Amino acid sequence: MSVSSSPHGPTGSRQSPVQKCRERDPHNQIVDRQSRFRLPAEIIRDSALAISGLLVREVGGRSARPYQPAGYFRHLNFPKRSYSHDTSKAQWRRGVYVHWQRMFLHPMMKAMDAPSREECTAERPRSNTPSAALTLLNDPTFIEAARAFASRILAEGGGTNHARLEFSFRQALGRSPDPTEQELLVELHDRSKEAFQADPHAARDLLSSGQSPLPKNADPVELAAWTTVARALFNLSESITRN
Amino acid sequence: MNPTFLNRRAFLSNVGLSLGSAAISGLMARDIGAAVPTTTGLPHLAAKAKRVIFLCMAGGPSHLETFDYKPELERLHDQPMPEAFTKDQPIAQLQGQQLMAHRPMCSFDRYGQSGQEISSWLPYTAKLADDIAIVRSMVTEQINHDPAHTFMNTGSAISGRPSMGSWINYGLGSACEDLPGFVVLTSVGGRNPQPIASRQWSAGFLPSKYQGVEFNSAGDPVHYVRNPKGVSQSQQAALVKTIGKLDQHRNSRVANPEIETRIAAYEMAFRMQASVPELMDVSDEPQHILDLYGATPGDGSFASNCLLARRLAEKGVRFIHLYHRGWDHHGDLEKYMDICCGLTDRPTWALVTDLKQRGMLDDTLVIWGGEFGRTPMVQGKGTTAGRDHHIKGFSMWMAGGGIKGGITHGATDELGYHAVENTVHVRDLHATMLHQLGLQHDRFTFPFQGLDMKLTGVEKARVVKGILAS
Repeated sequence: MSVSSSPHGPTGSRQSPVQKCRERDPHNQIVDRQSRFRLPAEIIRDSALAISGLLVREVGGRSARPYQPAGYFRHLNFPKRSYSHDTSKAQWRRGVYVHWQRMFLHPMMKAMDAPSREECTAERPRSNTPSAALTLLNDPTFIEAARAFASRILAEGGGTNHARLEFSFRQALGRSPDPTEQELLVELHDRSKEAFQADPHAARDLLSSGQSPLPKNADPVELAAWTTVARALFNLSESITRN
Repeated sequence: MNPTFLNRRAFLSNVGLSLGSAAISGLMARDIGAAVPTTTGLPHLAAKAKRVIFLCMAGGPSHLETFDYKPELERLHDQPMPEAFTKDQPIAQLQGQQLMAHRPMCSFDRYGQSGQEISSWLPYTAKLADDIAIVRSMVTEQINHDPAHTFMNTGSAISGRPSMGSWINYGLGSACEDLPGFVVLTSVGGRNPQPIASRQWSAGFLPSKYQGVEFNSAGDPVHYVRNPKGVSQSQQAALVKTIGKLDQHRNSRVANPEIETRIAAYEMAFRMQASVPELMDVSDEPQHILDLYGATPGDGSFASNCLLARRLAEKGVRFIHLYHRGWDHHGDLEKYMDICCGLTDRPTWALVTDLKQRGMLDDTLVIWGGEFGRTPMVQGKGTTAGRDHHIKGFSMWMAGGGIKGGITHGATDELGYHAVENTVHVRDLHATMLHQLGLQHDRFTFPFQGLDMKLTGVEKARVVKGILAS
């Protein structure tokens, strides 16, 4: 049934196969579709970095050390440890290469339920917490990825807001925005742009997050406003969920 | 939401949230047609306490130098421990060594009207003699730090079970809209502190929203609680609002209950961005209160954390877990007791005193103790005497929240080795704590892996009636 009903097929104007399936099996009791899972920690990192264009796909090699809150290892002992993040391209390596400190794994990994590797973990929990929300909203890795994505949107997304939104949706979610989504994000962009126009220093502050270079000749206000849109896209449930 | 997709699970999770307690999610985890769950109608009893402040003295303070004076150890000092006590007993680091008794390394006096016996190392706790119930007959089952903490926190040495703070929030719901219901603070200072793994405050198989949130006492109190550079509060508010609307819009198509939870998590996250820094900013505390605790704001000390514990209690946080590490005195016990007691004794007194003067001690249960005690036998790490880990008898105390003050409950034998009178197992402590919160430990369950799991486990646990005020 799963095959013949092609649940992943396009939705048409008449009742689509997806809708038919939903009607026939509203509670998924005969498994007409897959379940929606939140992505694992490493993939959430990889996907934001990939969309931003920062991801380093190199295979193997030494562990990577992403930005991490200062003093996070201060409670560790036997021996004491210090941490400095990578200042090279290793900063943007894939999640599987992130330095794994037993008991004190990176706060982003922890917030997204990566195991501490103290014992075998057959199935990871999938939590849905304020800590995870704060991480996606404010972790410098995601802020840097958002501003790098914004640079791409301005460089590759065309000249109009409409075209840029279409581009950013395609890149982040693999689909086009519907009118409601268009409207909400254009409004967010405009409000953000207005605020950064009134305070250009704030725009420069936001764009100073992370170590990747800024594009030359980019308008900081426009770039910062699109960084806000990129942050919204990275924080959507759809972005971190297997759909 | 399209009613077609309003399945039972989604319906119950919504209902559960609106009731403010998610024990009803015990319903969700059961299959349709299963037996009536046992966790309806919480709390089971009239609650004496609304919240718990657990002062964990991590490392294992010596009961023989705090609350359990053993003159017989003076007589036996430097002589082999009688084999009747130690034969076939679990031993940690002293394995294979000759076991020599060691006398108490401090003096004891009687304090308060109740005349409770307390060590000269705890002059401030001594002032609380009439407020605290000392339990001298604690026993635990784990002899190394990490599993012993796991046992104390979850009732099991196997990791993956929910911590008691998660259980309590699951059972009673949060009384606080803009802070998590289970907050953990770890202080700095002391000696050779053992790391405390974050799994100690895990929600285990309970819904993850009940997991403890660690507030850092130095630097940002919660990771990523601050807006990125250049982002104003109103920009952040607009962003979070848009994310919520987009998720809601998405949910009108996919009807995924996780999205509802997620929208609530973002709202809580945004409220925490304001409430957490406000909570940690103690500039509104008058000088005499800072002096009471001996707290220097922002120093990450136990004193500062005790003050924060009171502030968290005022906000309605259900379970506040303070860890002070450095009580693992295998050697140089005298030197390190000076340091540990110096850092914790006064703030502990200040916390209880401050709660009392605000009328909050009546409904706040304060618990003090380590994951185990220390051996009557000497251990010689370092330059002077210390003591090894000990699990067959140690001391803890409780105060407030319907606990009778000024009493000593239970006893160890004449050498402080075995609890011999009114023994209180860790699960009895849990049962008593739950009882004061209005929860009957044997009816407070969560279905997991086909079992009705309990904080107190499967073996018989009992409420320690002897320390209850009524």
